[in-house]
Amino acid sequence: MDIPVTQDGVVASSEQLPVFPALVTRILATLEDPDASLTLLAQYIEHDPVITARVLSLANRAATHRRMDTAVSDVFTAISLIGLAQVRQTALMASLSGFLDQVAPVTKRHYFWEHSVVVGVGCLELAPHAMQPTNVDAALIAGLLHDIGQLWLARFRGEAFRRACGDSQQSGAGIEHSERALFGVDHACIGAWLAAHWGLSEAIVRAIASHHAPDGQADEPLVAVVHVAEVLSNALDITGNAESRVTSVSAPCCAMLGLTWDDSAQQLFGRIEARSRHAMGFLR
Amino acid sequence: MRTRKLYIPIAEAHVGMVLGEDVQDNYRRPYQPAGLTLSDENLHQLAANHAEFICILAPDERSDDAIADDAAAATQRIQTIFQGADLTQPATAALLQQVLLYRSA
Repeated sequence: MDIPVTQDGVVASSEQLPVFPALVTRILATLEDPDASLTLLAQYIEHDPVITARVLSLANRAATHRRMDTAVSDVFTAISLIGLAQVRQTALMASLSGFLDQVAPVTKRHYFWEHSVVVGVGCLELAPHAMQPTNVDAALIAGLLHDIGQLWLARFRGEAFRRACGDSQQSGAGIEHSERALFGVDHACIGAWLAAHWGLSEAIVRAIASHHAPDGQADEPLVAVVHVAEVLSNALDITGNAESRVTSVSAPCCAMLGLTWDDSAQQLFGRIEARSRHAMGFLR
Repeated sequence: MRTRKLYIPIAEAHVGMVLGEDVQDNYRRPYQPAGLTLSDENLHQLAANHAEFICILAPDERSDDAIADDAAAATQRIQTIFQGADLTQPATAALLQQVLLYRSA
């Protein structure tokens, strides 16, 4: 091990990262409360002018097609027009994709951003397949943040991380193996430390921690959702990244999601690809 | 004419396209049937329902040779992505087959 990475070191250096969006933890808190009001969500979103603009843009597009005479100018009206779930997911996507864009080093920004959005969309598609009830918003957050540990490595251990990427390319093994050889831990572990530090739920932390090695925890639906979404992002090559690789898909995770990889998979692939392109077009 | 099913973001939908699958609302109720030729009104309805994508039956004007070339290029790319995969695992092998089928369509 050349350059050990420790939990204390990761947490300490996270202070140098852009501030984790408070909107995400606030929305997560409302998910635990079924009585959380529409007004409360509107208030949270209106604290952030960038997210507010995204939500109003979406609502105004719908309003135009419904031939409404007046423009939508407040989040409360937007929620009543396009629905609570849609507004919540739009806010989460815009907020976290903006955060990832700020965290990623310039050279890796484009790929990380696109890959995270595709995995987030994959999680939205896969969560309803789970054999146990799974919160789609938590799945979206876990999917968008699953590789945050790689962003940390690229930012704070740049040269060694590039070496790990090169080793992985040469050997054909997953990047996590090269990372463990160099740093003692992999990006999934680092991402989980960061997620825990930011106060995200234990289910999200475990899903990030296990996305490359999920078999021991495949009975947790969020673990299965993030793992399979990540594999599909690479398998379908939606980002066109030359480094995309698939080493395996966990059979227990597939079983948790009722996926048997027969012809019904064609529709799932199409939905993930089209929704990903839609999301990337909207968020750019 | 030969056709193929394509899933496209809603921004790429236009009048005259033919739906390849039913379009469903958030409650999985179909509101536009497969086979429908999209009109301006249908596009407004899709946008008003916040549709993010649709499946269309797209005319496939490629020659047989072009189809074969596209499929070969896609197969090569997918094999590169799966080159380190453990294909003795049934789930991984089955996933590879479905991805090959999807990209060769």
